Amino acid sequence: MADLAKMRNEIKKIVQRDDVKYVIGYEKGTYGWRVSPSFARTPEEVDKFIFSPLCVNNLAVYLVLEEKLPLPKGVEEEKKKIGIVVTGCDSRSVVQLLQEKAISRDDVVILGVPCSGVVEPKKMKEMFGKEIGTVAIEDKGEKYVIVIDGKRREVLKEELVSENCKTCEYQNPVISDILIGDEIKEKKKESYSKVRELEEKSTQERWDYWKEKFERCIRCYACRNCCPVCNCKECMAEKTTPVWIRRSVSLSENAGFHIMRSLHTAGRCIGCGSCERVCPMNIPLSKLYKKVEKDVIELFDYRAGLDEEEKPLLSVYSVDDSNEYIL
Amino acid sequence: MRKDRIGKLVQILSRNTLYAPVERDGVTTFEKVEKVEDIKFDYQNSDVPPKNVLFPQTETTFKYTLGKDQKIEVPKENGKNIILGIRPCDARSFSILDKVFEKDFLDIYYSEKRENTTLIGLSCNEPGINCFCTSLDGGVGNKEGLDMLLTALEDEYFVEVATDKGKAIIENSPDLFSDASDEHAKKKDEINKRAESLMKRRISVEGIEEKLDKIFDDDLWNEVSMKCIGCSVCTYLCPTCHCFDIQDEATLREGRRIRVWDSCSNPEYTLQASGYNPRPARINRVRNRIYHKYEYYPKNFKVIACVGCGRCIDKCSVNMDIVEVLSRVKEI
Repeated sequence: MADLAKMRNEIKKIVQRDDVKYVIGYEKGTYGWRVSPSFARTPEEVDKFIFSPLCVNNLAVYLVLEEKLPLPKGVEEEKKKIGIVVTGCDSRSVVQLLQEKAISRDDVVILGVPCSGVVEPKKMKEMFGKEIGTVAIEDKGEKYVIVIDGKRREVLKEELVSENCKTCEYQNPVISDILIGDEIKEKKKESYSKVRELEEKSTQERWDYWKEKFERCIRCYACRNCCPVCNCKECMAEKTTPVWIRRSVSLSENAGFHIMRSLHTAGRCIGCGSCERVCPMNIPLSKLYKKVEKDVIELFDYRAGLDEEEKPLLSVYSVDDSNEYIL
Repeated sequence: MRKDRIGKLVQILSRNTLYAPVERDGVTTFEKVEKVEDIKFDYQNSDVPPKNVLFPQTETTFKYTLGKDQKIEVPKENGKNIILGIRPCDARSFSILDKVFEKDFLDIYYSEKRENTTLIGLSCNEPGINCFCTSLDGGVGNKEGLDMLLTALEDEYFVEVATDKGKAIIENSPDLFSDASDEHAKKKDEINKRAESLMKRRISVEGIEEKLDKIFDDDLWNEVSMKCIGCSVCTYLCPTCHCFDIQDEATLREGRRIRVWDSCSNPEYTLQASGYNPRPARINRVRNRIYHKYEYYPKNFKVIACVGCGRCIDKCSVNMDIVEVLSRVKEI
C-alpha cells in the first residue's frame, strides 16, 4: 500500500513544525489484529505509526471531537494545526467538514494515502479471533497475505475486505498536502446492488426487514459518535425540550433515531461504512445510508465531500431542484 | 447429567420464563426461549450480558392516569425466571451489583427480579481472547452468584449445586440427574485448569486502589482518553455497569416513569441544570469510568466492579483496553 518508512519520515517532518500540535495516525493495537488510532506529538511517537489494511477507523472524527474547554483568564487558545493520515474515503470526510466550516483549511495538515481497501473487522474476528499474537497483513492484489507468530496464511481478498471497499469510487484522496504512495489507477463503480435489492421489495417487506434490525438496537450511539459529520453540540436524540426521540429503547424510538440520523446526514455522508463497522448489534446500517446516498445523487446529482469550495447540499436551493416529493 | 437430556431439561425449565443464549445476525444475547433448538450452546460469551434480565434497559417504574379515575400503578413482578447458560463471570457480576442495589434501601425493581431468578451457569471450556476473570477473583468454575453450575465434559454435564434454588432444579426432575463419580470430578477439574491456562490476559490488581489514589492528575489519562469517541458500548455491554437515568414519558392524561440505562461516557451524564458540567471532556469521563470500577466501588463495597469478561475490549471500536490501561497504571 504505502511505503511505511517514507510515511513516518514525512509525518516526523510535520510533527516537528512549530505550528503543529500533533498528528493523528494509526498504531498497532493491544492484541491480535487490532489497530488503534494514535496521536503523535514527537518524532519518537511517530515511530509507532503503522499503515495496513487493518487501519479501518475513520480518523476525521477526531478533528471535531476535541473539546474546546474554557481557558483561564489571560491564557490564549493554542491555535495550532492538527496533522491527519487519511485514505480516499476519510479525505472526503475532511472535505465535507471543510465545506460545512466545522474546521478551516488552516487547521489541518493532510497526509493522503491511496487505499486499496481495508478489512472488515467482524470477518477478521471470525477468521482470526483466537489469535492474540500480532497479526501482520499485506495486500497482494487478489489476496491478503497474513502472518501471525511466524505462520503465513493467504486469504482471498474478497473474503476479508470490507463490503464498502468493493465498490469504492474514491480510492485516491481527494485532498492532501502530502500524498504518500502511488495513485491507484483502477476504477470501481458503486452499483447500489444491495440497495436495489431492498428497493424491489414491497413497503411492508422493507419495514419488516428494518423492524427486525431496529429492535436489536441498544442506542449505544457508536454509529453516531464515530461519524465525522455527526458533530452537533447537542444531538437531536438527546434533546429534551422538545423530546424528538424518547430515551426509552424500543422499536419506535430506535427506528426514529436511525431514520432521523440518515436524513440529517443526507448529502453529507461519504459512505466510509464506519457506522456499520462499529455497531455491536450488527445492524446493516450501510444499506440505509447508501439508499439515502443514491437518492441524493438521483434527485440532486450531488456527491458529498469532493469540493471544499462547494456549498453544502441542503443549505442551498436551486429552482431546478427536484420537486416531485412536494405535493 | 447426560448431554442428550438437555432438551428435556429445557422443556421443564421453560415452564418458567427461561432465558438462554440466542444468536441473531451473528450477535448472541440472552433472550426468552421455549425450545432447545433456539439455544446457542457453542458460544464463548454472549455479546450483550444477561444483566438486562434483572436490570432491563428500559423499565417502567410506575404508570399513572390523571383525571377523575386517577391512579398510579407499579408493575408487579410475577413468575420465576431462569437464566440458563450464564458464564461464571456474568453470574459473579450480579453478586457485585447486589451490593449497590441493596445499599441504604432496597431497589425493589432489581431485587424482586433477583429473588425470582435462578442462575444455571455453564463453565467456560475455552476462554475468550480478552478474558481476564482469573485476575479478578473469578474463574471458569467459580460459583459465586450462581445457583447451579454445569461443566461440559465429553458426553455429560458435570452438575454442581450452589444454593437451594439450584437444589430445587434437581428435586424437580430427579430422573435427569445422576450422581457424579470421582472420575467425573477429576475430569471437570482438568477441564477447568486447562481453560484457565489458556487465558492470555493477566493483570495484577494488588494495590490498584492505592495507586489510583495517587495518580489522578497524571498525564496518562490525557493520552488514554484521546481516542475515545464517547459512545456507550463499553458501559452498555459491561455486566457490572449499572448507571441509570430516570425519565418521564407523558401525554396530557397519562404517562409513565421509566428507568433507562445511562452511561458515564456521555457528556450530558454530569450536565447540571445550570449548564455547568464537572466532567466536560473525555479525559474526565474516561478516567471516571476506570476510577469508579477500580477505586470508588472498592472503597464503598470492598470489591472491584469488574469481572474480567473482556467485552469492553472486544467491542470498543477504537481499541480502548482496560487491561492495558491498568498495566500502565501499575508502571507509573
